[in-house]
Amino acid sequence: MEFFLAYLVPILTSTVYMATPLIFASIGGAFSVRGGVMALGLESMMMCGAFCAVLGSYYTSSWAFGLLCGILGGMLIALFHAILSVRYRMNQVISGIGLNLLATAATTLLMQVIWKNKGTSELVVSIDKTIGGPIPILSGQSFNFFVMVAVAVLSWIVLFRTRYGLRLRMVGEQPKAASAVGLKVHGLKYSGVLICGALAGYGGAFLSLDQLNMFVRGMTAGRGYIAVAIAILGRYNPGHIVPFALLFGFCDALQIYLQGQGVSAQLIQMLPYLMTLIVLAVGVKHIQPPAGVGKHETD
Amino acid sequence: MNAIEMRGITKIYPGVRALDNVSFSVEQGEIHSLLGENGAGKSTLMNVLYGMTTPDAGEILVDGKPVTIRRSAQAIALGIGMVHQHFMLTPVMTITENVIVGCEPVHGPFLDRKKATESVQALIDKFHFHLNASARVQALSVGEQQRVEILKALYRGANVLILDEPTAVLTPQEVGELFSVLRELKAAGKSIIIITHKLRETAEIADRVSVLRAGVMVDQGLSAAGCSASDLALMMVGRKVDLSYTRRSKSVGETAYQVQNLNLTVKGVPILRDVALEVHKGEILGIAGIEGNGQSELIEVLTGLRKPDSMELVKDGLPLSGKTAAFLSAGVGHIPEDRLVRGMIGPMTIEDNIILGYHRKKEFSRHGIRRKNEIRAFSEKQLTDYQIKAPNVQEKCGSLSGGNQQKVVVARVFSEDPDVLIAAQPTRGVDVGAQELIHSRLLDLRDAGKAVLLISADLDEVRRLSDRIAVIYEGQIVAQGSYDTWNEMELGLLMAGEKAEKEARP
Amino acid sequence: MKTFLKNQWARLRRLEEPVLPLAAFLMSLILSGIIMALCGYNPFEAYGAILVGAFGSLRGIVNTFVQATPLIFTGLAYTFAKKASLINLGVEGQMYMGALGTALIGTLNLGLPACLHLPLAILAGFLFGALYGGIIGFLKVRFGSNEVVAGVMMNTIATCIVGYLLNGPLLAEGSVSAQTERVAETAQLPRVFSQYQLSYAIFLAIAACIFVAWFLNRTTFGYELRAVGINAKASETAGISIAKVMIIAMCVSGGIAGLAGANQVLGVDRRLINNFSPGYGFNGIAVAALASDHPIGVILAGTVFGLLSTGATELNRTTSVPVEFVGVIQAMVVIFVAAPLLIRDILHIDGKRRNK
Repeated sequence: MEFFLAYLVPILTSTVYMATPLIFASIGGAFSVRGGVMALGLESMMMCGAFCAVLGSYYTSSWAFGLLCGILGGMLIALFHAILSVRYRMNQVISGIGLNLLATAATTLLMQVIWKNKGTSELVVSIDKTIGGPIPILSGQSFNFFVMVAVAVLSWIVLFRTRYGLRLRMVGEQPKAASAVGLKVHGLKYSGVLICGALAGYGGAFLSLDQLNMFVRGMTAGRGYIAVAIAILGRYNPGHIVPFALLFGFCDALQIYLQGQGVSAQLIQMLPYLMTLIVLAVGVKHIQPPAGVGKHETD
Repeated sequence: MNAIEMRGITKIYPGVRALDNVSFSVEQGEIHSLLGENGAGKSTLMNVLYGMTTPDAGEILVDGKPVTIRRSAQAIALGIGMVHQHFMLTPVMTITENVIVGCEPVHGPFLDRKKATESVQALIDKFHFHLNASARVQALSVGEQQRVEILKALYRGANVLILDEPTAVLTPQEVGELFSVLRELKAAGKSIIIITHKLRETAEIADRVSVLRAGVMVDQGLSAAGCSASDLALMMVGRKVDLSYTRRSKSVGETAYQVQNLNLTVKGVPILRDVALEVHKGEILGIAGIEGNGQSELIEVLTGLRKPDSMELVKDGLPLSGKTAAFLSAGVGHIPEDRLVRGMIGPMTIEDNIILGYHRKKEFSRHGIRRKNEIRAFSEKQLTDYQIKAPNVQEKCGSLSGGNQQKVVVARVFSEDPDVLIAAQPTRGVDVGAQELIHSRLLDLRDAGKAVLLISADLDEVRRLSDRIAVIYEGQIVAQGSYDTWNEMELGLLMAGEKAEKEARP
Repeated sequence: MKTFLKNQWARLRRLEEPVLPLAAFLMSLILSGIIMALCGYNPFEAYGAILVGAFGSLRGIVNTFVQATPLIFTGLAYTFAKKASLINLGVEGQMYMGALGTALIGTLNLGLPACLHLPLAILAGFLFGALYGGIIGFLKVRFGSNEVVAGVMMNTIATCIVGYLLNGPLLAEGSVSAQTERVAETAQLPRVFSQYQLSYAIFLAIAACIFVAWFLNRTTFGYELRAVGINAKASETAGISIAKVMIIAMCVSGGIAGLAGANQVLGVDRRLINNFSPGYGFNGIAVAALASDHPIGVILAGTVFGLLSTGATELNRTTSVPVEFVGVIQAMVVIFVAAPLLIRDILHIDGKRRNK
């Protein structure tokens, strides 16, 4: 019992906390891929979300406005991605990589322009994290915990129980068929990617406003790529994405805990990546993305 | 009044006038056959009507009113429905989901899944389609999938129904069922346009006929009763062709290719069961069957592409096993059933394609380095021999017409003089000229004492070329006999799984 | 001259190489310039500084090629896999493993003459990279794992492994920063100019590009690789083993990436330093994109990117323009080059009308 309270509860709390941005981003990825657009640009959407959130918060001294700016920031990158890959039929991998490069460079550049500092932004208002009180798992969390739960549930409903979800999935599976029954293929694809951007942007804002209270150069540190992996492992279904994201959160949490125990930092850091690789190899074989990913209605 | 009237439709693709000032009209409550060869522009014309292609000139009138159709949604709103040749269904979704998408019943913000299923099932029952609205499309037969496509159009209130080559994948019995469905729809006042190149079906079902040739409307709105098949053929092709030309084997030799005890299970489903076949030298063995009864898998197994659960395969008295490369070097030639998928590599040049599969032979490769000049000379020779119409051998294969692409595939296989040839759908999607050439080369090969296994969805082709016919149904060879054992209807019954009434003659 | 221009214009209209990437490149420069101007900097000053920095002195020119060398390798690595339609995002990791392999052999004092020790060290780099890349190919072929995700995961794993080793077992005696011992004299890549870091690896890189171009076009395996890359099913039907081709393609791609690491260890730093790469791997993808996946084009594209990186230092030294603009330019280049339809739209070229 003592062990339970001393170790397990903090690790589990931290698991949820670390998993939250991943859940946002990978559910975003699910919307994008279900609509037939690869989501390799999640990293840039998170990065831009994190940056814009701090920017918004910095200028208004309101974290709520900051979160809104984070969402918009993610959507801005998503809009670029959608225009490039849907309208201009650019290779979606290259578009994703290109935007990731752009987001890293542009955020650093803007930090320099705005705060005259390339490493970190100035401190901004952070979100109240005492609402959970002493309740296990909830303690030390902000209202974003509930947002995360709501997003997970709602996104499942939207994808699988609404008209919009059916249409989006149809577009992702067979753009040509969707076009033949009169669906607005481009509009639906744009919407999927934009939802992806909003969620990934929120995930990024969570990093900069909830986990920290500033923007740090390259702060997403590969979480966008992890989110891509989670979306794939979870077969683009929010119901499956959440447990996988928690698994990654757990590895992160364990790493923080073990780092205090004299185990090599690099080896622990490696853990979640190694795990993904193993899960990818033996756990879930031959995951098929929707048949229409990367295809266009006139192919 | 005309339900549909198209005037002066012109569509130009780079270098091609796909449609040249074409006019076309359909009356309310008629079945109208739009006849023409592959590539004549039939599908383009219908895609224009359905809003999937934007014409460069011309106007469309629906019920006498001029309309602009730029998207399928507009066509649907005007009561036009289309059943595409390649079905546009999402296999992982249910029939209901496939049918309702685009005009779904909703309950507040949510899909009304109960109402959707009920209304789709009601439609199914009304037209006796014999389907379960909750079944997933991936579990349906081809004929059933086609009915789902028709359902999609009906559910949207289609008044004019366009069917693109609807009988290409059906058995004679299924064709009969389809035709009775179409007559029922006609009786309900719907107009139906059938895109086809089959003369007999036109005669059987159509009220009127229009003929397209090379993008030009040769004649439109002829009464189907008033024209003979040969008239139509002449209009369609522009010259007299004898498509019934054939000759049978004069001397059948010993067994060249023998397969026994062939079983194949895929994901727990038996696909091929106890298949036993033998092809003799100097003989064409035709496999008749509805698509999806294991033919594709049979081809894959017999060419080393797929490993069966069990099989004894003997070529010229010697057992044959291993992968595709081993089959190729043993002299088993393969014309794949879908040239775009397995037959050729579109973005590569003709010379790269014409040696594909034989590229490691001594003539084309020395110490792992390609012999450019030899490859060039070889492909230029094939270009002439097989009358492949291309500017030069460095042209990309994908930019050729279907017939010329298939000639590249055929030239590749035939030039290797295979002992055994697996010819799958050898003339699918090719023009009449190429069809004639390929058929005569097949017969030449047979007469040269080679063994040919012909797999085709075109029953006419099988009956015309084969010396013997085997019928495949649900992965089993249900009948085998000489080409004249059964008439067409009897073969159709066998293909549909009915028991053979006649004993096969030896 | 007139016909030449006419031909090139026709190529642009048909969206063909090499005119299109060039137009895209220019356009990204212009757009980046506009962004600079919007941020309140003088783009002409910035581009001038970049050019002066990269070409204004022998030092600049040499540094351009120092920066270009690893980029040519990584760009070529990505291109090679791409020809088999494999997206090798694991270039960075393969480069790290290559550097590790090279360092393991290079720092050993084997008592071998340079003519043996040096090739051996380079070979070790190639093999380590090849093995590491081969794993991705194996996972794809055997388990159907997505190579994009596997590549990204293996990048981090590689940097973690190298980081761990450099902080522990391989840490140079008495060193405060994470790095290995200096590479033995016999394993060092000779430098073109004694006072600059440019090693003869640049020639190796150029030779590798030419060799790959020849290999893809003229060898039977190169033909098979291209065939698999375009149409795997047709290749299978032609008796080509897709599994074999894919694994070999990933191995070679990883090996080439490993050479980038070898160059860094044997020629530039003369030891393996933790986090030696400022993202050569992902920038390699950008290089490949600029080169339109053509091996010879990689030489040019790598040089262009090397020029930008070198110019960045000058930008920093002589102007107030932030260095990050170079990153923005690079990202713009990737995006524009890979979106031919966008270029056509901007230039209002009426080629093939998009089907509605």
